[in-house]
Amino acid sequence: MFAIATTLVSVLAGVAIFGFQSLELRRHQAEELNARMEIIDAMIRHAGDPKRWPMLGDKLESFTPANGSIRYRVDCPDARFRFAPDDALARARDGIDLIHFDGKRYMTLTRRVPPYLERPEVRLVIAADTAPFDASRRVLGVGVLAVSLVTIALVSLLGWWVARKGLAPVDRLSQRARALNPDDLSLRMPTKGLPAELEGLMAAFNGALDRLQDAYERLASFNADVAHELRTPLGNLIGQTQVALSRPREADELEEVLHSNLEELDRLRCIINDMLFMARADQGALAANLETVSLAGLTHKTADFLDVLFEDAGVTLEVSGDGVVAADASLLGRAVTNLLDNAIRHGVDCKTVRVTIEPQDGKVCLGVRNRGGPIPEAHLARLFDRFYRLDRAREHSHDVHGLGLAVVKAIVTMHGGTVFARCEKGEVLIGFVLPGGAVATGEPHEPSARRIEPVGA
Amino acid sequence: MKILIVEDEPKTVAYLRKGLTEQGYSVDFVGDGEDGLHLAQTLDYDAIVLDGMLPGLDGVAVLERLRQTRQTPVIMLTARDSVDDRLRGLGAGADDYLVKPFSFLELLARLQAITRRGRGEATTITVGDLHLDLLARRATRAGRRLNLTAKEFALLAVLGRRQSQIVSKTIITELVWDINFDTNTNVVEVAIKRLRAKIDGMFETKLLHTVRGMGYVLEHRPDGGVE
Repeated sequence: MFAIATTLVSVLAGVAIFGFQSLELRRHQAEELNARMEIIDAMIRHAGDPKRWPMLGDKLESFTPANGSIRYRVDCPDARFRFAPDDALARARDGIDLIHFDGKRYMTLTRRVPPYLERPEVRLVIAADTAPFDASRRVLGVGVLAVSLVTIALVSLLGWWVARKGLAPVDRLSQRARALNPDDLSLRMPTKGLPAELEGLMAAFNGALDRLQDAYERLASFNADVAHELRTPLGNLIGQTQVALSRPREADELEEVLHSNLEELDRLRCIINDMLFMARADQGALAANLETVSLAGLTHKTADFLDVLFEDAGVTLEVSGDGVVAADASLLGRAVTNLLDNAIRHGVDCKTVRVTIEPQDGKVCLGVRNRGGPIPEAHLARLFDRFYRLDRAREHSHDVHGLGLAVVKAIVTMHGGTVFARCEKGEVLIGFVLPGGAVATGEPHEPSARRIEPVGA
Repeated sequence: MKILIVEDEPKTVAYLRKGLTEQGYSVDFVGDGEDGLHLAQTLDYDAIVLDGMLPGLDGVAVLERLRQTRQTPVIMLTARDSVDDRLRGLGAGADDYLVKPFSFLELLARLQAITRRGRGEATTITVGDLHLDLLARRATRAGRRLNLTAKEFALLAVLGRRQSQIVSKTIITELVWDINFDTNTNVVEVAIKRLRAKIDGMFETKLLHTVRGMGYVLEHRPDGGVE
């Protein structure tokens, strides 16, 4: 590319220089002819006496070099005023002209000298051999060509070298990039000693690698967590069943084993269902079966369900504000249930859980606030991770398998919303933001569920 | 009570056959959609349990064809817990659906619901010396009035209507609180604990029993049922 550009420029420059110099040589030659013309013209102009012409002829003869590089001719109707050694020169047109004879090329300058005394008008021709100029032009051409070629070669080489030198960091980076692999996620691209434009790129690239590493590690720890969560109940199931079957047992002993197995199995079922649910959310499944849901109504309904837990914990619930969203009521109910349950469970010296629902430029935000924290920033970001527990010691606390908030996130994602978790003034605030607005038809109403039968009467 | 089960998984078929027969249902089984449709169209069943994923003709297709001639109540079993799937099933005319893995208790409850069996039309329920008056919303034990909250009464009524049957947590949350999703909360345990304190607390004979891993049952056990 660079070589082609150089060649092009050199050729153009060479041609221009050559053309310009040729013209210059031509001009120079014409000037020389002009100068001679002035001299001869002055000699002839006032020579009107036929007796003096032979002397003039001798002069012109003597002006003509042996190699014929300059030639003269004077044409006149009157033979007495002629000087014509070469007939070829008669062909020359007035002014400047080029003619060939004797195997040479001549530049000619022709002028008519007005009559004087006896002499009629004469036509004066001066011819100069162009060979020296042609030689100069050839030398010039070869020179220009040689210089051009050298220039092209040099510039190409230089260009290649500069490019090599300029791209050397990119080569280094490529080699480093090839070394990146999942086995060593901590590798980063170097940012020191790079040209400025590459430095920004590499910083951005390293940022992407940081995020990838984070995601990778989350996935890895998540896989380990899943395996761990499933392994415990499975181990119990296999172990206690084998023990039960290893010798004859009384019916009530066997019954006890079955009950215990059932509990473990139910735990497994819950985990697997939640995992499948979240896998669907991850695959981008969206909530269908949308109805117009009042978030305050949904919160009250959920609070009604969790009432005994609030009472047991000695916590009261305050709900303020309202907003309407298009949602799958049962899914969203599950999300709100998990948020409230989480607030009851993790509140510290918490007497009140406050739910605030407020519109936010076309969206609706629901936040659940309780006394607690402070939670370090790093933990806040991970609260919605699967199996993530702030307190590893609580791992086996009552039927919490650490998926509660992850399920909230999945449900909110399925509704095109986002979740958030913040610490403010000794309070923890966790909630979600959903696109606001009702379903195209229908009034806001308390979400209804399928009923097996009415309770009571 | 005659039921048709269309299901191709042998182990599932085996335990359903056993469980339902023991519950007093007379049960027919087929393993594929074509046969299922044929039986459903030619015989009179009180209810049909139809698996969504079947070899040959799938559940929804069977249902659509059946609905052209008969309105037998149908419960769809779906392995894919996807909303679209349920909607397709319900849209094709299913009366209810269960997501695999489902609990046997829940299947029983749904069957009872759609066959209108065991729907106590009675307005009073007696379990041992516990009396419920569903109209007046009053509960007494050994003649003494029990002071129950509205939710506690509703919970007791749900158990009382299904006297001697195990009632799962899922069914309780659905019937008492109108919540039809799995929750990982212990609301039901806490509510049962409170109810138990009020109805059994002062009495030697316990009526409200826990069946581990399954649910709760309200019944008078002659042996005293001390837990």
